Amino acid sequence: MTAVRDAPPATPPRLHRVRARWAWGLGAVAVVVWSLAGAGLFTGDVVNPAGRAQFGRFAGSALSPALDPAFLQVLASSALITVAYAVLGAALAVLLGALGAVLVARTTWGRRRLGWTLARGALAVPRGLHEAVWGLLLVNVLGLDPWVGVLAIGLPYGAVTAKVFADLLDEVPRGSHDALLAAGSGRVAAVLYGLLPPASGGLLSYACYRLECAVRSAVVLGLIGAGGLGYQLSLSFSSLRWEQVWSCVYALAALCALADVGGRAVRRRLAAPRTPGDRLARDRGLTAAVLTTLALVAWSWWYLAISPATLFAERTREQLAYVLGAAWPPDTDGVLLSSIAALAVDTVQMSVIAIAVATVGAVALAGLAAHPAGHAGPGRRLTGTAVRVALLLLRAVPPPVWALVVLFVLLPGVLPGAVALGVYTWGVLGRLAAEATEELDPRPRAALAALGAGPAAGWLYGVLPRATGPVLAFALYRWEVAIRDSVLVGLLGAGGLGALLAAGWARSTGPR
Amino acid sequence: MSSHPAVSLEVPRDRTHPPHEDVVSTRAAARSGGPASLLPLSRRGFLAGTAALAAAALAACGRTSPVSSSAPSGSTGRLSIGAIPDQDPEVLQRLYGTVADSMSGALDLEVAYQPVTDYAAAVSLFRTGDLDLVWFGGLTGVQARLQTPGAAPIAQRDIDEAFHSIFVVNAGTGLPPSDDLTALAGLRFTYGSETSTSGRLMPAYFLQEQGVDPQGFPGGPGFSGSHDATLGLVASGSYQAGVLNEQVWTTRTAEGSVDPAVVLYARTPAFHDYHWLLGPQAVERLGEDLPGRLTDYFTGLSADDPDDAEVLDLFGAGSFLPTTASNYDQVEEIGRRLGLVS
Repeated sequence: MTAVRDAPPATPPRLHRVRARWAWGLGAVAVVVWSLAGAGLFTGDVVNPAGRAQFGRFAGSALSPALDPAFLQVLASSALITVAYAVLGAALAVLLGALGAVLVARTTWGRRRLGWTLARGALAVPRGLHEAVWGLLLVNVLGLDPWVGVLAIGLPYGAVTAKVFADLLDEVPRGSHDALLAAGSGRVAAVLYGLLPPASGGLLSYACYRLECAVRSAVVLGLIGAGGLGYQLSLSFSSLRWEQVWSCVYALAALCALADVGGRAVRRRLAAPRTPGDRLARDRGLTAAVLTTLALVAWSWWYLAISPATLFAERTREQLAYVLGAAWPPDTDGVLLSSIAALAVDTVQMSVIAIAVATVGAVALAGLAAHPAGHAGPGRRLTGTAVRVALLLLRAVPPPVWALVVLFVLLPGVLPGAVALGVYTWGVLGRLAAEATEELDPRPRAALAALGAGPAAGWLYGVLPRATGPVLAFALYRWEVAIRDSVLVGLLGAGGLGALLAAGWARSTGPR
Repeated sequence: MSSHPAVSLEVPRDRTHPPHEDVVSTRAAARSGGPASLLPLSRRGFLAGTAALAAAALAACGRTSPVSSSAPSGSTGRLSIGAIPDQDPEVLQRLYGTVADSMSGALDLEVAYQPVTDYAAAVSLFRTGDLDLVWFGGLTGVQARLQTPGAAPIAQRDIDEAFHSIFVVNAGTGLPPSDDLTALAGLRFTYGSETSTSGRLMPAYFLQEQGVDPQGFPGGPGFSGSHDATLGLVASGSYQAGVLNEQVWTTRTAEGSVDPAVVLYARTPAFHDYHWLLGPQAVERLGEDLPGRLTDYFTGLSADDPDDAEVLDLFGAGSFLPTTASNYDQVEEIGRRLGLVS
């Protein structure tokens, strides 16, 4: 932004097509078409119109959620458990992320590429396992213990956070860091005082995003029996009590919205501090936010009655040995391997369709979902809120539930799983895309509007070109997540590797 | 920390400028967490927060967690029970106090009910000894018993002695009720949960007996996850046929909540299903006579006693009967043949 403002390019940029981009674009289209063909879209019927009534029952119940006092009480106490898991899980993730970032940042490794690559590779392992799989593994080691939920969120999230934190630190302008080094300061001090302050905004913003994700993951853990809202949701879901399912979804959406609004307020404060410019005073709002966070962590710790001793208990060691013994050597018989290969193709096709659905949907709604830069009429603000709530609900309904209801109206195969994942990811990506749009320089659009362009043209030529980069980056990141999430849809039997994994769990305790 | 000269290193500047002003007024610097907002916390506040954390950690020691009341080393007299019923699980899981109270009153034991929804997790927890007494299905009971040497079946319901599954088809297929399962081979077909005895294992066995490949339906069989989901999917027509537990079918038919698009096709022969399974660690802790006492308790539940009736009702049972491990040999053998037991 500042570069554009301060130093206009000396020669006007030539408008020409970048060949590499075309190749990438056409390649992406080809992959999507291949996936759609694999899903049978061009070869036969995929829609099952007769299932509309069943789908309608699900959708119709959205307006009449279960509200009897006994159930609401169950929901309230479950929500507390979910909050506690999410807070502790996110806190652990941020802690691990901060430590891990040091291990994988380029700043640490400098020119030693091999070490850096190895460290990054090591991080990919905890990230590759879905939280639900972590949960099942940890149940085997720790038994019924609140640590299961906290670690199942904290470990994989910690690995993701470490990677993102390291990237954020590496991307900060290095002027002050280098200046400190040149002035003779140590490397640690140079990072603490030269890199950390300018990166802190991004770090905090990402930590808040992780909290919202942690709420949703805590629900997924409930599905495997770790308690909380997800537990209630899966109970009601297994007897298709849609009214109760919707109550759970609304409670979950409310928690996500709280995390989101809180995070947004903190970030806004960071971007535009209210303290007068001529003195360095503490911002009371931010102090309160930090204290609230600490208090929440303390409360969660107390509420879940977490005891660090469990982690080092004799029994934990025994069970860990048992699980490792069962997991090694991995099953390598030929039939299993060939079915894994075939299902891996299904999984990839499923995730490609899912991310295509999500990206198209997210880009279409990003403009509406973003908070308008200047003053906006009540109509525009109402539409914005409605779109944001809709996106929130899309991601508050867990993927397994989407998979079943989509399966009502689509014939079985890769497609229902893909659509279910796609709709869920749409909710997540829509939010990320809206945020990316808000971060853009508003001036090109304003200039177009001043020249008489309509809102659609302003968006197409003033916003879309610049939003493409960040939105594509988010889409690629969510693609990785979607591949992992296919485990969840697979647990329902909608195909892919997840189905095989679920079958493996049922057979014995060893992951295959 | 906020008083540290780190501030003046943010942007190189000459001395004549008042240092703070140009930092704070640079929007980009402020946005990325400028100096004014860095660590907006006093040392005192931070210490207080840390102290609160430590206090919470200490307080947590004396508290039982809402997600696991798993017995700490001191409480030897406690029996941890769990159950994952096939039908309306939410009803039992939310009224579990009834079961725990009834048992604890009759046996003079502390009984803690552990909420679990997932069979794989329940089998693991039974193996680790977190759950002492679990209401398992036929197949999951066998899986849990094979992983936990010394585990013994305690009791089954009256209906579990001769349990049946029901094959249903979508009315659109036009198939009349019949005992010939081969007509299902060409239909899109869904089982229930992967580890369900009545929704997966035994139907697969009976299909195989009639020469139908249990994995060979067009597009592969589906796994709906629950008996009610099977009903929903067959009603929608996404799957043209499916199979579910007879108990659920009877209850839903009586309620009138089955979609008219779903019609009965066939009823399987009888097999053994659900049972209570007791782990060896509980016997070590609570005495050799525990299995006998538990069997007596379950078989003694009478539908005439209002409190007992409530418990029986939660399990959909008329009464409980004794059972032995050999009742599940057939399930085990079929499980091995279908690769569900290893």
